[in-house]
Amino acid sequence: MPLYGDLGNKLVQHAKRTQNLIHLPPYQAELVRAVAREVRDLDRDLKSILEPFQGSFDPTADQATACTLLVNHLSMRRNKRCLLAYHRTRADKLEELVWSGADVLDLAGQQTAGGANGVMGANDGGASSLSPQEEDYVRQYGDLLAAYKGQWTDIDLTGSLEPPRDLFIDVRVLKDAGEIQTEYGAINLTRNSQFYVRQGDVERLISQGYLQKLG
Amino acid sequence: MALPLPPGLTHSEVAFLAEMEMVTVVPRQRLESIDLLSGQTPPLRPPHRAQLPLWLALLLKKQRRANIVPPPWLHPASLADIIHRETKGAGFSAPPPPPARANPHEPGRARRFADDDVTLSPPFQPSCTANAPAGYLPYHWLEVAESLLTHAGDDMAAPVGEVRSLLRDLVEVRAAKMRDSISELQGLERGMMLLTGVGSIELAESRGFVLGVVDGVRKIGASTEATRRDKEEMGDERDDEGSDDDMGI
Amino acid sequence: MDIDDILREVDPVFHAVPQEKRDLQDLTRAWVAERCAPELLHWPADGLFERVNDNIKRQIEKVEEMTGDMDPKTNFALIVLQTELERFKYIVRSYLRARIAKIDRHTLHYLSTDELRSRLSEMELAYATRHQALLHNHYLSSFLSSFPPQMQNLNDAGGNSTMIDTPDLESAVFIRLLIDTVVEGRGVDADGEMNGKVDDIVILRWSDAKPLVDAGSAELV
Repeated sequence: MPLYGDLGNKLVQHAKRTQNLIHLPPYQAELVRAVAREVRDLDRDLKSILEPFQGSFDPTADQATACTLLVNHLSMRRNKRCLLAYHRTRADKLEELVWSGADVLDLAGQQTAGGANGVMGANDGGASSLSPQEEDYVRQYGDLLAAYKGQWTDIDLTGSLEPPRDLFIDVRVLKDAGEIQTEYGAINLTRNSQFYVRQGDVERLISQGYLQKLG
Repeated sequence: MALPLPPGLTHSEVAFLAEMEMVTVVPRQRLESIDLLSGQTPPLRPPHRAQLPLWLALLLKKQRRANIVPPPWLHPASLADIIHRETKGAGFSAPPPPPARANPHEPGRARRFADDDVTLSPPFQPSCTANAPAGYLPYHWLEVAESLLTHAGDDMAAPVGEVRSLLRDLVEVRAAKMRDSISELQGLERGMMLLTGVGSIELAESRGFVLGVVDGVRKIGASTEATRRDKEEMGDERDDEGSDDDMGI
Repeated sequence: MDIDDILREVDPVFHAVPQEKRDLQDLTRAWVAERCAPELLHWPADGLFERVNDNIKRQIEKVEEMTGDMDPKTNFALIVLQTELERFKYIVRSYLRARIAKIDRHTLHYLSTDELRSRLSEMELAYATRHQALLHNHYLSSFLSSFPPQMQNLNDAGGNSTMIDTPDLESAVFIRLLIDTVVEGRGVDADGEMNGKVDDIVILRWSDAKPLVDAGSAELV
C-alpha cells in the first residue's frame, strides 16, 4: 500500500519548482488525478469505518478507531491543500503572464518545443503545457483584468512599474531621416540638427543609427 | 502578480520621490505660468528666483533655461560641519527644524509648516530651497545632492569634486552608524527603535536587512513572548484580586 | 500673525496649502504607505483617486488640444505638462497595482468581514469577488468537483488551522511621526513606550504603528 501523502508531496514539490521558473512547466494531469483519487479513497474508507456505528460513534469508547478516522481526515485535508497550492501557484504564474501582456493562449498553442517562450516546458513535445481548465481560466482572467483596466484607461494600468525618467531627450541627427510624425506634429530631421523629443517617439531611429542620444 | 516588488520603496522609487522636493531656480529665460496638475507654476522672469519641484528645475536646467541655486546645506562648509557633528555624536544628526512659519520669538517651539489639517512632510516640506537652513540634512539629502551634482554641477558653490568628496565622507560616517544601529537591533526587544535623521536612500538600502532581522527576532522569540504575555495577564488578574504574590505557592 | 493667518480669518475656507498640492501630497502618501504596509490600507474615502483620475483625463485632453499646430521646438510647456502627467500616471498605476497584488494574495481574507471589505474601492471589490469566483471555479473544474461534497468549499477551518491565508500584521515597518506623540511598541522580552517627537523615524511592528498612521499622527516611510 502506498503511503498516503506521497503524491501530494510531489505536487507541492512541483509547485515549489514552478515558483522559481520563468516558464510554466507542463500540467501534471496524472498526478492531480491520482491525488484526487486518494481523497475519494480516503473518504470511502472513512465512511465504511463509520458505517457500522450508524451515526452513534463515540470516540472516547473506541480510541483506536477514532485515531484512524483522524488520520484519514487529516490526510484528506492535506491532499486538498496540496492540490490547492499546486493550482494556485500555476494560476499566479498565468495571471502574471496576463499582466505582462503576453498572449498566453497563443504561446501555449504554438507547436514549437524548446521552451523559449513563457509557457512551454522544455520537453513537453509540443503539446500545450496548460490544462484545458487553465486555458479557460486564462481567458476569463484576461476578461476580468480588461474590465478592471477599463475603469482606469488614462492610467495605462499594465504600463511600466519603473518611475518615469527622461521622458524627453536631446538627440542629434546623424543621417538625414526626413520628416517624422510625433505627438506634437512633424519634425524634419536634417543632419546635425538637434532636437528635444519624446524618447518613445524616436527609439527606433536611435537604434537604426539615424539619431544619437545626447548627455 | 500585479506588482512584483517587495514591500518598501526601491531605489528608483526613492529617487522619483526626491524629485518632488522644491528647489530654487534662477531663470535665464521668461516662461509663462503653466497650469500643472499640482498647481500653477510661478511665471519665470529673469533674474527673479522661483521655487519649483526638482524634476521641473532639472528639465529647465537641461534646456539651459535656468540655473539651480544649491541648498545651503550642500555648501562645503555646511557639509564639513555636519561631518564633524556626525563623527562626534552617536545617532544621525538631527533633521532640519520645521521650516517657514516658525516663530522667531520662540525658537524652541517652532510651529510646523502646516495648514489647519495638513501636515507637510518630505518631499513636500521645503528643505532643499535656497532658504533651507545650513547644517541639517533633509530626508532626501543624498538623492537631491546626487541629482544636482550630476545635472547642475556648474551651479554648485564649490567645485563638484570637492562637494562629492565631502558627500562621500558623509555617506561613510553615516553608513557606519547604520551598521551600529543594526547591531543594536536586539534593542527592539522593547518593541521599537529610533532612527531619527536617517535619509531615504539609507533607509531603502537597509530596509530589507533591518526588517528581516526584526521579524526574525520576533518569530524566534514568539513563544517566549507568548509565555510572557500569559504570565503578565495572569499577574494582572491576580493584582486585580489584590492577590498574595508572596505566598510562594 | 502672518499673512496666511489674516487670510484665514477673513476667508474660512482659505488654505495655506492649495488643494492641488494637498492632493499631490495625499496621493504620494497613499502610494508610499501602500507600498510599505504589510496589509491593504483603506481606499481614501474623500474621492482623492477619482478626483486625480478626472484631473489626469482633463490634462490629457488639454495636451491633445495644445498639440495640434504648435511648433515642436518652442513648445516647452507641452513638454512640462507631459512630463508631469507621466509622473502622476505612474503614482496612480503603482498604487493601484500594489493594492491589487495584496488583494490577489489574500482575497478570501479581504472578503471575509465587512470591515475588511470596506477597505476596497467599489471596483476592487467587484474585481476581488469575481477573481475569487474564477479561482474557485477553476479548482472545481480541475479537481474539487470530484471531491466528496463536504470537502468542496475553500474556507474549511478546523483544528488549529484555516485555509484562509492572512497578511502578517506583526511585520516591522518604518514610520515618521508627524506630531509629538506617545509611541507604544510590543517586543519579545518587554514592551516599551516613548515620547516621540515630530520627525522621529521609528521601527516597530505594523500592528503597533497602525493606530498612529490611521490617526494621521505618523506616516509610513
